[in-house]
Amino acid sequence: MKQAEILTKAPILALLALTLTGCVTSRVEDAREGLTGISEGESVVIMAKSYHLGNETEEKYIKCIENALGRGSKGLRVIPHRQFVDSLFPWFEPRTAPAETKNLPQLMERPGVADSIARQGVRYIIWLDGDTERVAGGGSLSCAAGPGGGGCFGFAWWQNDADYNASVWDLEGLESAGTVSTDVSGTSFLPALVVPLPLIARTQSKACKSLATQLRSFIINEEAV
Amino acid sequence: MTLTSRIALPGILLAGLLSGCSSSVTLQALTIPSPLTEKIPVSVGLRMPANFHNFVHEEQVYGRDVWSIDLGSSHAALFTQLFKHMFRQLTVLEADDDPKLLNIDALIEPSVDGFEFSVPNQSKTDAFAVWIRYRLKVYDSGGTLVSNWPVSSYGKSQTASVSNSEALQRAAILAMRDAAALMIMKLDEVTQISSLADAPAPVAAPTLVPIPETNDEDDVQAVAVEGQDDETG
Repeated sequence: MKQAEILTKAPILALLALTLTGCVTSRVEDAREGLTGISEGESVVIMAKSYHLGNETEEKYIKCIENALGRGSKGLRVIPHRQFVDSLFPWFEPRTAPAETKNLPQLMERPGVADSIARQGVRYIIWLDGDTERVAGGGSLSCAAGPGGGGCFGFAWWQNDADYNASVWDLEGLESAGTVSTDVSGTSFLPALVVPLPLIARTQSKACKSLATQLRSFIINEEAV
Repeated sequence: MTLTSRIALPGILLAGLLSGCSSSVTLQALTIPSPLTEKIPVSVGLRMPANFHNFVHEEQVYGRDVWSIDLGSSHAALFTQLFKHMFRQLTVLEADDDPKLLNIDALIEPSVDGFEFSVPNQSKTDAFAVWIRYRLKVYDSGGTLVSNWPVSSYGKSQTASVSNSEALQRAAILAMRDAAALMIMKLDEVTQISSLADAPAPVAAPTLVPIPETNDEDDVQAVAVEGQDDETG
């Protein structure tokens, strides 16, 4: 393909790529309370705040953050949350998990707890709070099928908001290191003229990537490095 | 088409439609992790009701779906594993065992007062939730009922990344783990079972003389008692 031809087609392809996904806006911010850093051999655990406290964080989102934090050359060592909870049974069950850092000293004094945490090299516990919700939607779409074929006609849209907050607890000093939060809003569209053409906004996925990137930067403390 | 096939085909279709209105979930044998806790220095006997080995619960949801959850022997596995970790010595009694002949400090009789669950249609969320209300009766070595403790537990699991069946199973497991966590934290405090250690009197057959229930807040939660028939399925 000639260079001129590529230059002509590139904007069209870029425009097509843009129109094939919905609109997503995102915001990420952090609030640091203490110095952070992580050494080789140290690990992090991603936990959801208890559903006894009304939290609805999805299991899928926790796994996404675990995978995203562990990936890449700067990937952190992540202990799977179920493995961590089992190893410290029953002290991280939804009923018994510490709700505040001030409960940590008492927890560490329980038989076997400090040893188990040290054995796994867990330096930070990251508590996730929040969920993805459909906040608006509209339009109408109808589909029909008959002996000669079928098709859809109409237009539908919906908006999802993904708000998540991560509290980072430093188990070395038994204190809060700070919080990282993300707020992503995405609108998906589904126009249909015989064939439906879904333009899906991957709101939760975007919230996962942006929070994981910021969390990694927060823990490694890239500003100080 | 023969007459038999004319009758059979609609019959199969009808059966398929009807079976589409019911869901059945079977729980694999429950395993709880070893708890990080010190053993209570008491030798206990554990006598479980028959339905702990084949517990099935059915629930009709909004007059449409019938959900059936088969916990199998999960209740028995929960109490056996938990008490083995919690007490110095555990003896599991069979139905015809006489506690008088055993060298135990206390006898514990757990039962299920209620089992309920909700499906996403009911809660308007994408989560299954399970509530279990156990009751623990603790007898001393003389066969006197010394504590009657209702234990309310709750588990919830979302369907977003797993099937409905897996989510309901997970919610049931979480409810049982929740009960285990509560018993580890509170059993001795509520029942004072550690004070029964090395009691001199021999164990007599339990005399069901109920004592007034404790004022623990869990008592209040267990006021609404579900019929026993529902739980045995």
